[in-house]
Amino acid sequence: MRGTFTSVNRLLLASIACVLGAAALTYAVDPLQLFRPSRLAFYSDDTRVQNAGLIRSQSFDTAFMGTSLAIHFRQSDIDRALGVHSLKLAMTGSNSRQQAFVLEQAIDRGARRVIWEMDDFIFVDAADIETDPYLSVDLYRGTAKGIASYLFSTAMAKESLFAVLRSVPPLRRPLARATPYLPVKFALADVDDIHALPRNFDVARSYNAAKTLASFAYITAPSRSRFLGEGYGYDAMVRHFEQDAVGLITRHPDVTFDIYFPPYSILQFVAMRDASPETLKIVTDLTAIIAQRLTQFPNVRLHDFRAIKAVTHDLNNYGDVIHHSPVVDAMVLNWLGSGEYRVDGKKPTASLDELKAQVEAYRLQK
Amino acid sequence: MLFNSYPFILLFLPVVLGGYFWLGRRSSLAPVIWLALASLAFYAIGSWQFVALLLLSIAFNYGVGHLLVVAKLRPSQRKAALALGVAGDLLVLGILKYAGFATENINALFGTHFAVHILLPVGISFYTFTQIAFLVDAYRGQVAAYGLPHYALFVTYFPHLIAGPILHHKDMIPQFEREESKHPDAHLILCGLIIFAIGLFKKTCLADGIQPLVALAFEARSPSFDQAWLGALAYTFQLYFDFSGYSDMAIGISLMFGIFLPVNFNSPYKATSIVEFWRRWHMTLSQFLRDYLYIPLGGNRHGRVLRYVNLLITMLLGGLWHGAAWTFVIWGALHGAYLCINHAFNASVPSVPPLLARPVRAAGALLTFLAVVVAWVFFRAESVAWALRVLHAMADPTNIVFGREEIAALVLVAIYAALVWLAPNTQQIMGYDHGNRRVGEALRAGRMRPLILYGASLVLAFGILGIQSHSEFIYFRF
Repeated sequence: MRGTFTSVNRLLLASIACVLGAAALTYAVDPLQLFRPSRLAFYSDDTRVQNAGLIRSQSFDTAFMGTSLAIHFRQSDIDRALGVHSLKLAMTGSNSRQQAFVLEQAIDRGARRVIWEMDDFIFVDAADIETDPYLSVDLYRGTAKGIASYLFSTAMAKESLFAVLRSVPPLRRPLARATPYLPVKFALADVDDIHALPRNFDVARSYNAAKTLASFAYITAPSRSRFLGEGYGYDAMVRHFEQDAVGLITRHPDVTFDIYFPPYSILQFVAMRDASPETLKIVTDLTAIIAQRLTQFPNVRLHDFRAIKAVTHDLNNYGDVIHHSPVVDAMVLNWLGSGEYRVDGKKPTASLDELKAQVEAYRLQK
Repeated sequence: MLFNSYPFILLFLPVVLGGYFWLGRRSSLAPVIWLALASLAFYAIGSWQFVALLLLSIAFNYGVGHLLVVAKLRPSQRKAALALGVAGDLLVLGILKYAGFATENINALFGTHFAVHILLPVGISFYTFTQIAFLVDAYRGQVAAYGLPHYALFVTYFPHLIAGPILHHKDMIPQFEREESKHPDAHLILCGLIIFAIGLFKKTCLADGIQPLVALAFEARSPSFDQAWLGALAYTFQLYFDFSGYSDMAIGISLMFGIFLPVNFNSPYKATSIVEFWRRWHMTLSQFLRDYLYIPLGGNRHGRVLRYVNLLITMLLGGLWHGAAWTFVIWGALHGAYLCINHAFNASVPSVPPLLARPVRAAGALLTFLAVVVAWVFFRAESVAWALRVLHAMADPTNIVFGREEIAALVLVAIYAALVWLAPNTQQIMGYDHGNRRVGEALRAGRMRPLILYGASLVLAFGILGIQSHSEFIYFRF
């Protein structure tokens, strides 16, 4: 039964050669544009990974940050409305620690202005960024570990191979056309399209009062209402705000921060009022503190869009109780440009008080 | 420790293999002890807090087994010893795995607020079942007297310890005692390496590759018809490649040590009936449930009605074995019901004419697969309500999105379906014959040897490149 180990050695050596070959291919193609910008690059909706490359490969003077409420903005619209050269870095479901970390990288790469859509729930859970499994700090920092995880990766080798195929002249056009429908990560030809809704998107079908009310009924059902305040703890949230938002702002006094509270539908607060009043109190107390703290910084302009009744009470603007339509996205950019809803440092809780009164008065029409 | 991790592949496995064969030149017992200690270290690296429990379980079962095998007990005393052993095992398993579930249900029923938070020891279901089978066989007089090191290795043997296959002492201990397996065999190491590579590729590239699509159905609040189907199918294929990948890796690693593990998968989605499905899916669990639960319950010996009752009980407990939740109970009940219907159909419908055999088999395969997918929805969902929401979406073709993301998902799902139904399985590729202890005979003699070698090296390379830092096996939770 005993044989020589030649075949075993051959298999192992060939495997090592394949691993090195795949790493060389990824380095040469560089789908994330971590090493060099590329005119032929494609982009990915996986923003936690894609942002690391965007920060290195794009030129920008403004970073746009937020959660899923800021994910559908187009960079070109931001630039047009605000007269900036922006880079959208919004990440669905991100917390304040991740957002502050990514913003710090963007500031280090030249962002002089930050536009930051700030939800209260980003402060609920802010795990240590160094051990965060959902965001590779090493990739952003370009450490040996981060570079190795990028180069020695089947997923990236697959993307690189596909990029090579896409660059072969006879295949270029058909593959570029088919790419968005193929199971590859780097499928978007234009950086402007990252998470943006298609130009012909049927807004009325996805954002309407029926959907908003259904979502309201869903989250306030007795069996699920406890989730409304899951993880909310006032002290921890204030601590996370201080560390992530205030810490970042304090470290960068030369950067202008336009921070805004997004225009949730009134039903978000009504749901808390009816099903979890203690959560509503945490949210209002926390945002009062945020307003008081942020308006003290000379480099911060705080905007509060939560009490704009014409928008927040019109349930046709929403797809659920918090996510607004692209029509409202455009309004947000206009409000940011005009400063119409900027919070006055002398009356930092005025708009919050107005919101509280609206929430108190609102009665759901059956 | 994960098989799909750099420390395991680059450090643990080479060191343990080297030590095993080095000791094998000097002694017959030392490699067994070395492998048992290495297995404990393997377990301790990920679950150090449960090592004492594992050791206690081994000591307890070995002690009871010793009473049954060696001590001259009267029949009533033997019965009492077996009852003590099985009850002890089930009690520990019951408390650690089901106390929280039981408390939750008591709270729901009586409005109480008891709280039980027990961390589930990794692999407890597997090593408990392994040892229960040992005790029952010892009681039946089917066990020879074994040394403690061999028994400890049989229970802890790291290729199987955490997620199976469920081993049988009669199969394993004679292999641990064999002199030949303690010396390196280049052919077995080569075949083991190739099987490991295929398993690693299945896990890191295929299972982890399709995993993001599962969110389409199971993380969306209201999935559309196409999203629900794509998510459910994605999970169906993820689970398949995750578990069969683990099983391949276990067989491959073990083969490098000269030990043949039982096959746990035989292309289950190719089954043409649910009865056949259970002969092909998680085969060692099916065998355990048949031999140590279904048959002792009476099997099919007491008439058709009791046979169906026994089937239902067996599958309900099989479901509960996978996890303490109502979703698993429903999954087990569904499979129990499927099996009853299948047996009733076989008993009442005359055999099909040869001309219709093919289309009937194809229809059977499709129906079986759909039934399995529906059951997996319960298996995967966080709650029964969530599962019903996904199933409701799967039954509502009026709500279809079919956007860019869904089309890309469909392409991926189609590729996986082709792999599942058209590609040969690992044991077919490698000619793995567990019963006759043969593997890779065609590879040894064939002209395709260089092609297979370089193909395997590519598969191994991509398997290694696919390793992610957070990618546990689904069956680790059971």
